[in-house]
Amino acid sequence: MERPPHSILQGDMQRLADGDRAAFRPVFDSLWPLLRSYAARHLPPGEAEDAAQEALVKIFHRASEFDPARSAMAWALGIATWEIRTILRRRRRRREETLPQWNAAPDPSPGPEESAMLHDLESMMRDALGALRPEDAETLRLYALGERAAVTPATFRKRVQRALERLRAVWRINDGSP
Amino acid sequence: MAPLDALPDAMLLARARRAYEMGRISAAMLRSVWLVPVLGLSLLCCSDPTWSLASGMGLIAAVTCCLWWGQAWGRGVWPGLIAGLVPMIAPLVMQMGGHCCSMGDRCYLYPGVCILAGVAGGVALALIAPRPREGHGVPFFAASLIAGLAGAVGCLVYGLIGVAGMVLGLLAGAAPILVTRRTRG
Repeated sequence: MERPPHSILQGDMQRLADGDRAAFRPVFDSLWPLLRSYAARHLPPGEAEDAAQEALVKIFHRASEFDPARSAMAWALGIATWEIRTILRRRRRRREETLPQWNAAPDPSPGPEESAMLHDLESMMRDALGALRPEDAETLRLYALGERAAVTPATFRKRVQRALERLRAVWRINDGSP
Repeated sequence: MAPLDALPDAMLLARARRAYEMGRISAAMLRSVWLVPVLGLSLLCCSDPTWSLASGMGLIAAVTCCLWWGQAWGRGVWPGLIAGLVPMIAPLVMQMGGHCCSMGDRCYLYPGVCILAGVAGGVALALIAPRPREGHGVPFFAASLIAGLAGAVGCLVYGLIGVAGMVLGLLAGAAPILVTRRTRG
């Protein structure tokens, strides 16, 4: 009977951690397509390729630390997730740095296409908020205004989190996106 | 000629291979670092540190290489170090207790400690090192090499006679157990 791919990877990773160089190519061949597709699900193509490469190199650099009691697949994807997060953080920071330049642009008003999109988004948001329970909508309204209901901060945070989850669910149904 | 889309993969493969070897070397060096204080102690205990330094560096290099290469060589490292711990530490402790170094006048009275420590190390080696089977002697060889080098770091404070005593002790301690185990199968 043929072994499942994750079980093959587990065995190969274990051999590689022990120093068996013959397991290098099988681990590379198993991980590279996996990391590529995993990164592509979270990042645009150019960045996804970079993240997958960096993750792959890090996985091999740390191969001797691999604990055979752990799942090789989960371990590798954990490193890839960290790499993707790093790229996302870097991108967010870059965007924050460039934001003041946008503010200094001569005409900050949106163009006609952008206005139409904003209008659509606003109406979708209104529909989604309308579909929520009134308490959730009120919680989000207060949160957007920077205010807080007469509850403890922790309770309010929890309520905001739950309301956002429900809003996301409604948005997904309306928008049809996963 | 290799197809163009295969080139980045080949470069990545080479990069990953380099990362793998570098990762193994740095992990091996990190694990060998704890031997440095023991080497320092042996240097402090002896007035002629050249040989102690040489054997200590040899021990660190052997441990690092075995851990880096891994597999059968790597499996011999910890049993070797454990077995070599007594012959490494015992002479240094004796020395710190006020006994003279190999350059002193009473030094030839104390290689006995190296023989006894060697016997203890040999027993430990035979009990905990992977058993030398036909075609699978590398882990035991690696363990013996490392135990010998570790013992030499300590026993060199009594000069070459201390090292010779320790080697004899190792053989005397390990041989009976190994022979008994072999005859029992």
